[in-house]
Amino acid sequence: MPDATARLSGALAVLVLAAAACGGASGPLAVTDVWSRASAAGQETGVVYFEISGGASSDALLGVTVPRAIAAGAALHETVAADATGTTMAGHDMGDMGDGMTMQAVSRVPIGAGATVVFEPGGYHVMLLGLVEPLVAGASFEVTLTFESAGEIVVVAEVRE
Amino acid sequence: MHGMSAPNRGRWRRRVPAALLALSLLVAACGESGPYIPAGLVRTPYPEVGHLALPESTNGGADFNFRAQPGELLLLYFGYTGCPDICPTTLADLRAALRQIGDRAERVEVAFVTIDPDRDADSVMTAYIHAFFAEGHGLRTDDPDLLATVSAPLGVNYSVSANPDGYIEVVHSAWVYVIDEQGRLLLMWPFGTEPEDIAEDLKHLFKDLDADA
Ligand SMILES: [Cu+2]
Repeated sequence: MPDATARLSGALAVLVLAAAACGGASGPLAVTDVWSRASAAGQETGVVYFEISGGASSDALLGVTVPRAIAAGAALHETVAADATGTTMAGHDMGDMGDGMTMQAVSRVPIGAGATVVFEPGGYHVMLLGLVEPLVAGASFEVTLTFESAGEIVVVAEVRE
Repeated sequence: MHGMSAPNRGRWRRRVPAALLALSLLVAACGESGPYIPAGLVRTPYPEVGHLALPESTNGGADFNFRAQPGELLLLYFGYTGCPDICPTTLADLRAALRQIGDRAERVEVAFVTIDPDRDADSVMTAYIHAFFAEGHGLRTDDPDLLATVSAPLGVNYSVSANPDGYIEVVHSAWVYVIDEQGRLLLMWPFGTEPEDIAEDLKHLFKDLDADA
């Protein structure tokens, strides 16, 4: 019996390795192309963008932090369509004139197995609140992302013009 | 897709130009010689906005009219400096577009109006717009009625409201308005218009402008 179990898990391990070798969709969750926009003197807020490639099983992004030397706080945000009274209009047709946009906090960003979730202008972004100093193009800083399953992943954001 | 100077703005790109795309397909079907279809939206008749003005933070509070200098074009945008996503993306796209039109960029002025004057002091406005455009104009008024008056003819929507927990929610429309020396609103680009498309529109606007001159 122990033999059989050992043999079985050995076979499973080979299978998992084989699957992992077959392509990105089955690799571990990865965060790439991490960048932040340079900010002007006096500007209180900043932003970080990146791309998340989901791993073999589904996961979720739950939170984000940056060093205190960079900003007082960081939060997951999403830019959404809204009318000017502040009520968001999900799925609203942007073809109308006078439409508004706003940002809202997001508590959980699902990352499907093998899926790609992009944090980009006009969509999901990390909002930096209370910038300590202006972000200068060419500089870089650490960003810690907390995932439900993958745990903490530390990446480096490059500040771009 | 996610290059350094022209990041993708996926969701907005998909939604906005569907009608335009249909139009250009129609035109394409009729042959090569169709009229130029701008990426921006053209309103007819052109709204007249040249009589409108706001104090210019970057020029000691002197009135700045919504009208271009002779032979030039004015690009006008309404936002706030605490906006880290939409506003800087738009200004960076404009900067990228101006780098694609050669000498003509010297005939384009950019002005940024704050819809959040309580938090955007004159000094902040100046630093912000100059971070993108060395000669950019920052416009700001403390008078909410004046801001509403100049916003209406353009179709700018905005609201700044404090939630009970103190968080200040800002909603604003995010178009870039192109205005000529007569104060006519020639064209407006929605958020997410690619710099290449903005550059192409500007080239055509200048072609018309120089043909008329
Ligand atoms: Cu935000």
